[in-house]
Parts: sequence; C-alpha cells; structure tokens
Amino acid sequence: MRETWVVGAASNRFGKMPESGREAATLVALEAIDSSGLEPKDIGYTFVANCFGIAERQAHVGPLINTGLGIPEVPSCTIESACSSSSAALHEAFVHVAGGFTDAVLVVGAEKLSHLDTLNATSYFAMGADYPFETRNGATFPGLYATLANAHQRRYGTSPEQLGAVAVKNHANAAANPHAHFQKPITMETYLRSPVIASPLRLYDCCPFSDGAAAVVVAARERLPNPPSEPLVIRASVRSGSIADMHDRSTMTGLPASRLAGEIAFKAAHVERSDIDLVEVHDCFTIAELMALEDLGFYEAGRAGRATVEGETARDGRLPVNPSGGLKAKGHPVSATGASQVVEIFEQFNGKAGGRQVKDPTLALAHNVGATGGSCSVHIFGRR
Amino acid sequence: MATEAHARHSIAEYRSDYEEGRRLRGLRCACGFVTATWGLVCPKCGGRALEEVELSGRGRLAAFTVQTVPSDEFLNDAPYAYVVVDLEEGGRITGWVEGIRDEKELTVGAPVRWTPTYKPGVHFTLEPAPGPTTRESPP
Repeated sequence: MRETWVVGAASNRFGKMPESGREAATLVALEAIDSSGLEPKDIGYTFVANCFGIAERQAHVGPLINTGLGIPEVPSCTIESACSSSSAALHEAFVHVAGGFTDAVLVVGAEKLSHLDTLNATSYFAMGADYPFETRNGATFPGLYATLANAHQRRYGTSPEQLGAVAVKNHANAAANPHAHFQKPITMETYLRSPVIASPLRLYDCCPFSDGAAAVVVAARERLPNPPSEPLVIRASVRSGSIADMHDRSTMTGLPASRLAGEIAFKAAHVERSDIDLVEVHDCFTIAELMALEDLGFYEAGRAGRATVEGETARDGRLPVNPSGGLKAKGHPVSATGASQVVEIFEQFNGKAGGRQVKDPTLALAHNVGATGGSCSVHIFGRR
Repeated sequence: MATEAHARHSIAEYRSDYEEGRRLRGLRCACGFVTATWGLVCPKCGGRALEEVELSGRGRLAAFTVQTVPSDEFLNDAPYAYVVVDLEEGGRITGWVEGIRDEKELTVGAPVRWTPTYKPGVHFTLEPAPGPTTRESPP
C-alpha cells in the first residue's frame, strides 16, 4: 500500500444554506482542492456523499459537481452509508490511492434539508433505520438512540447530568468554531430545562438538522511530497458493520460496529489509545458520545459519563473529545459530517483551530456511525 | 447450496398478518437465535437452518422510550412508548404502547402482550402485574 495523505480540506458554515447541496458541494470542493496546491484537473476520481439529495429532487450529483469544477471527464459516484456516508467515501478514496489506482481523489459530502418541515426532515432521518421492523413500529431516530440510552442508564446508572455534560462541553467548543451551526454556549440549567423529545433524551441531547458541506482531498505521498499545508497521514481507514436492527444485537449499551472498527484501526495504525491527542466521535445524541468513548476503548463501559462531568474530555482535558463541537453543536448535515470531522482534524494539525485549538496534536481519531450502528468508520491520522 | 427462501414468509406477509391481527411471524435458527425481522442466513451463526415460527406476542420490556415527538405515521398518537420486548420463547421484537405519557409508567421487566389494533405497527399492551417480577432481562 502507498502512504496516503489528506492534503486539503474545507467546510462551509453549517446551519441553513441558501444554496443547493450541489452548489455547496462544488464550492467546498474547489476550496479543498485549492488548499491542497493541486488543480481540479489533477483529481482522478470524485466520491460524493449526498444521502438525501432526493429531497432536492436530485440524484447522480457527482457529474454535476465535476462539471462545475471543470473536470467533466473525471469519474464519480455517490456513496451512501446514512450518517457515515462521507467517511465511507473517504475510505473508498483511501482504497483507491493506497492501492495505486488513483493518485488524487476528491471526497465531498453535502446535505440540504432546511427547506423541509420538521416532520418531513424527521422522516428522512429515520430512513437509515429498518422501516418495516423499527420505523413502522413507531420509532423516530431520537427514539432509537433513546432506547439505547434507556438500556445504558439501567445498566450503568448514567445520569441526566452526565448526558448534559456532553451537551454543555460540545456547545462550548462549537462557540469557537466558525463552521458550527450553534455558536453559543449553554448551561446545565438550560439543558435540564429543555423538553423531553424521547425519554430520557431532551432537546439539548439531540443534534440539530443542519445543512452543510465539507470536502477533503486525498493524495499519494509520492504524488504530492510537499503540500502547502501539513498533511494528515492516514494511519488507518477502517469500515465495519453489525446486525442492522439494534434490538437483535448482543448488546444495547454500545454499538458493536464501533468496537469492531476501533479494534481493527488501533491494530492497523500500531498505536495505543493513550497515544491519541484528540478525537472527533459521532455524537448525534449525547448518549452516542459516551457509548463511542466506551466502545472505542478510551473508557471502560459505563465510565465515560463521569469522566465527561470531571472535564477529562474538554478541549483542555486529558482527551479532548469533539473540539469542533461535534454533531451535537457544530451540526449534523448527514452526508457532510464524516468529512467535516476530518476538516476539524486538518485545521487542528495545522494550528488553525483558533479558540478551540488543542496543543500540538500528533495523532487523532475520527469515528462516524451510520444510523444506529449498522455501519461505522474509524480513521486514525498522524503526522508525516 | 440452494437457499430455501421460497419457504419463508415475505415482509409483506409478516405485515399483513399482524396488521389484520392473525399472527406474528418470526424466524428461529438452530443456534437458538430468534428474530422478528427478515433474512435468509442467520446473522449470528451463518447457518441456513432458519425455521419459520409463530411468535407468542407475550414477553417483558427489555428497553423503552416515551416519544413526545412522533414519527409521521403516528402523528395523532404522541406521546407513546417505543418498546423492545424480550419474547417469552426467546428473541426480541419491537413495537409500541399507546397512551404512555411518562417513562415512569414503564419498568424494565414489565409483562406485555401483543394486542392488534387498526393502527400501524406491532402494538403492545401492559399486562396487569400478577406479582413480583420473576425474571429481569439484562439490557
């Protein structure tokens, strides 16, 4: 395998985009290409993530993006893996470049749902679940994670204050992130007073519906040995899966796909949990951040909540978790999320994270889950 | 090796059967795995000896949530509980319980029974507790 780098990255501000997903994708793609020092014509393949493009009456968006970038002949395809679509696209890019098939690949994820009402948007989000056996029985997407939270609470005594600590921390981080949907800190009191959406999850346990777009450029070291920015060396690029319906799995207090991807990734990268300087994990709901930290082996099962309350996962803590603000507060434009985690790590490694900068990171992990964990990506990045 | 998919129910049959109150269909593998979902090969052991079974519809709550914001097919039913049920014959199934306003009305281990309605989904009703809970399922 060839050594493979992330050499460029860009994101727009998440929230409500005036432009379409296709336009936003093209804009961030060109910005990411420009940051890499490459030209659009150097791109050998474009992997697009645009899970809910059909909400804009648009599929087959790759050729539209490539045409907008002036590279209509370049091959493209759309990768769909629910909320982990763009990290799945990144994995495909890694496979292409590391395997020697392509020298430079564009990965771009975009989502636009803000033109839909909440009910419609909720229905789109639920499409990642099993329609006849989960959604048809009344589950919403928050409801599915709430059921996991119920099981986690019962087994480990996870408290509302532990869930709230995740929300308060991630909102504080997002306040220093110009890409974030929410840029205002919240208090524990605000969290505890917010209405229940699906017990035990409250409004502030849930990520927002966001529009957004993010892109990264992946290249072989031998193709671009001296990129203008400090590259991220892809030390591990792992995808995993598990039984789709969470109630049929062996556990409901964590996600087996996260455990599997994490184990394989740490082995592939030859690093220990204690070597990691910052992580971006999939916190579509607060409980998801706690489960991710436990499933990935950073904390024993049932211990991440207390560690969060004690500040260990704050930006200046022992293990900074979601310095970007995470899905929870940076926002969750489904297909842009995986790429945007990498944008955050790229900015952190280049010292461009401003008020949320983690001191001198050298190893980082990104964890991105499809729906309730039927699919999962884990990437580990290092310095050259 | 040929599959025996033709011998198994379709998702449409599963759904029309429970919606019309006839029966709950499921699959049981020789390894002991029971599912109320659909497949051709056992996701636990890889075996192909999936036998079609009729599920009792009786069991105990394994996990639950009370949703105040409903999904689009349950617009007029909120709040209600989405539940995961441990079936008495083994295996799990999901469903919903109408009219639950607060999670304090539910406890893990509480007995429930499938009670078909004209509404969508596998509908459960809480059974009156006959006495102390005899079996509590781990989450």
